[in-house]
Amino acid sequence: MDWYTLLLFYLWIAPHLLLAGVAVLLWKRRLHANFPVFVLYVLYEIAEFIVLFTISVARLHQQLWYLPVFLVTSAISAALRFGVIQEIFNNIFQEQGKVHSFARVSLRWTTGFLLLGAVLFSLFASGQTSNSLLAGAAWIGRGIAIIQCGLVLFLFLFSRGIGVSLQGCVFGIALGFGILSSVELANWALHTGELSVPMARALNLLPTGGYHIAVLIWLGYLLAPARKIVQVRELPVTDLRQWNTELERFLQ
Amino acid sequence: MSPVVFYVAMAIVLAAVFTYLAVGRRVGTITIDGARSLMGSLDIEAFRNLVDPEEDAFLQSCLPADQFRTIKRERAWAALAYARTLSHIALEFSRFGHALRNSPDPSLAELGREVATGAIHLRILALQATARLFISAAFPKLPQRSLRSLFEQYGHSASLLARYRMLERARKQPSQPSLA
Repeated sequence: MDWYTLLLFYLWIAPHLLLAGVAVLLWKRRLHANFPVFVLYVLYEIAEFIVLFTISVARLHQQLWYLPVFLVTSAISAALRFGVIQEIFNNIFQEQGKVHSFARVSLRWTTGFLLLGAVLFSLFASGQTSNSLLAGAAWIGRGIAIIQCGLVLFLFLFSRGIGVSLQGCVFGIALGFGILSSVELANWALHTGELSVPMARALNLLPTGGYHIAVLIWLGYLLAPARKIVQVRELPVTDLRQWNTELERFLQ
Repeated sequence: MSPVVFYVAMAIVLAAVFTYLAVGRRVGTITIDGARSLMGSLDIEAFRNLVDPEEDAFLQSCLPADQFRTIKRERAWAALAYARTLSHIALEFSRFGHALRNSPDPSLAELGREVATGAIHLRILALQATARLFISAAFPKLPQRSLRSLFEQYGHSASLLARYRMLERARKQPSQPSLA
């Protein structure tokens, strides 16, 4: 077995083993109640890996099974990712009362704009594409990756803009999806054209490598103890006096 | 530039932005000093006066149309500076509130939740006020809408911080019987 095959198998198998760890941690930290769609996504990804790995090892791919199964499972995976992003949004803003409805409307508008942007990008910057099934899927996958990247970016900027600080694991889940979506954007963009064999071999490592990084991010943020991100410094007495003065001035 | 290069460059930039956001996450000590110094620089009465619709109506009745437009525009620009300061104060309140939520003391944690929620509401109102003042500066003829809810929310947030002060004082002097 050459180094390329070893690396390919490592990048394919390792993230899914780590993903099982993510599932366990989600359960142990009782996050499955707050993030049911993310838990479903994690379990689905593991099941998808088992199916695709079995097809590959059993050499069923020679009977053209692999590509259709891969495309169908990828479509379901992309749909679940949208669900997770929506779930993160709900988790962040649901306790903010009036802000929640504002956030929901903003998310809807952003999704609409991103969809429009993805379609326009595809029309005006499509370039030369091959006619293969994979190239067609790549065209759609690229659009989906643009929308998901945009949504994660919007989530970060919106929460920062209105002063909501994301808790460690919520930030970690969103960050993992952001990195994963940007790697997928590059991957699908490169797949829209005709690829030479060495280029295709090299590109095989890109999505699995990106996925590995995303899983490590999720695992890292889940393993990090539920510590205080910040500590409030106690106010010295002189500060309290100055506060008093300010508040009295305001109340006058 | 070929489309593939364009998309790959876009992906690299996005990945870099996500990494920057992760690295730039604030970890450390949050104090209320920032908000306090900003509160000190904010003359809330002057701000209230600048955005008072009745004051506008009075000026409109006293001044010729051209002069009123000029003054209205100047007032709107001045009010914008106050709205921006208020917006920064809201961000500082929010950081403080989120930090306070992690307090082991349940009453402080609950207060932190209230401070954070109030601060987010204040921030949104301040951003809305900023947008309205921009419109007011661009189109001085348009009637000025009251920013009462913004001032009420500011008062609410300030009172929550006063409650924090009382809780802290009570913690330092446990023999005192009441917090109210």
